[in-house]
Amino acid sequence: MPKEQANWSPYDNNGGSCVAVAGADYCVIAADTRMSTGYNILTRDYSKICKLADKCVMASSGFQADVKALQKHLAARHLIYQHQHNKQMSCPAMAQLLSNTLYYKRFFPYYSFNVLGGLDNEGKGCVFTYDAVGSYEKVGYSSQGSGSTLIMPFLDNQLKSPSPLLLPAQDAVTPLAEAEAIDLVKTVFALASERDIYTGDKLEIVVINADGIRREYMDLRKD
Amino acid sequence: MQIFEYNGSALVAMVGKNCFAIASDRRLGVQLQTIATDFQRISKIHDRLFLGLSGLATDAQTLYQRLVFRHKLYQLREERDMKPETFASLVSAILYEKRFGPYFCQPVIAGLGDEDKPFICTMDSIGAKELAKDFVVAGTASESLYGACESMFKENMEPEELFETVSQALLASVDRDCLSGWGGHVYVVTPTEVKERILKGRMD
Repeated sequence: MPKEQANWSPYDNNGGSCVAVAGADYCVIAADTRMSTGYNILTRDYSKICKLADKCVMASSGFQADVKALQKHLAARHLIYQHQHNKQMSCPAMAQLLSNTLYYKRFFPYYSFNVLGGLDNEGKGCVFTYDAVGSYEKVGYSSQGSGSTLIMPFLDNQLKSPSPLLLPAQDAVTPLAEAEAIDLVKTVFALASERDIYTGDKLEIVVINADGIRREYMDLRKD
Repeated sequence: MQIFEYNGSALVAMVGKNCFAIASDRRLGVQLQTIATDFQRISKIHDRLFLGLSGLATDAQTLYQRLVFRHKLYQLREERDMKPETFASLVSAILYEKRFGPYFCQPVIAGLGDEDKPFICTMDSIGAKELAKDFVVAGTASESLYGACESMFKENMEPEELFETVSQALLASVDRDCLSGWGGHVYVVTPTEVKERILKGRMD
């Protein structure tokens, strides 16, 4: 008798796209608010963005149950860190913690595609991009999720980051002003909503700068 | 092993003001190995009609030979060139003939029709036509091309601006796809001339 395969999967893909752009003294993190399963929409109003620390925000697309579990785990670890060190975790420190947390579940991964954005200890914007098992890289901009293949080439064209292998080391952050970067992010999501069925409804933009964190919303196509 | 990703390809066609542009990458590979860096994916059917074929290279070549044959017969019988819309229907019919053993190709057809009106269309491997007013894409880099074209496209672009737009969109997209690249071929066709240009891109 031929061997039967399990046709139940513990994972699901709730779709959506996330983008983050780092500037000289700000960081823009954005994600759409649509949550779907298969060809159906579960809700038009779900936030994929989570504030992990004062100057550190994470946007994740993929399987939102795993994302929620990951966010809870990181929040708990951050609280412990605050008790032990009497200060908030910096963005690069949180980046390493996220990587280790993801790799811990290397053989039953969190189905979560993350971008971490924030300000580093000197107040400069930084963006870290991850795969599902914790491989990460500090970059000037990144996108993850269902629309990322549509968005990345456009961001490459507009924000062309110098190679991290160049010597002397060149800044990866974009020279754009904060308002221009926000406009770019809005354009990028408008274009992703046109061609990606899992991206749309509403766009949530989080901007971190020296004054703190602020949130903005924009309507996207609902089809 | 995915059959459509065996050789790697990127194709895009865009409509401008009384003109069109059709562009492709230049890489021919066998899975991860690059075999040629000057592969022609776009062929001229007649002065005002171009055909690009993405997907499996052997099927692309065979299909091209069959279509040229059919067009030459048409020219002999009708004593004129085929209109782009007619040619698109011919390609669609030939692909559907092989419905249960298809050619693993996705064609992109671009031409100037009556009154110099630009015509572009693409179809899937069994001949389902998709007529578009702005741009069409095909190949392993198609998702990246959708994103790049959607953001850079404007209506009624003049030939020079259309060339710039298509080139930027093509190069940005193939740079994010491992299986396509090594530069680009761009044809910009107006009622009076055909300009073929070769783009230098990342060689990886």
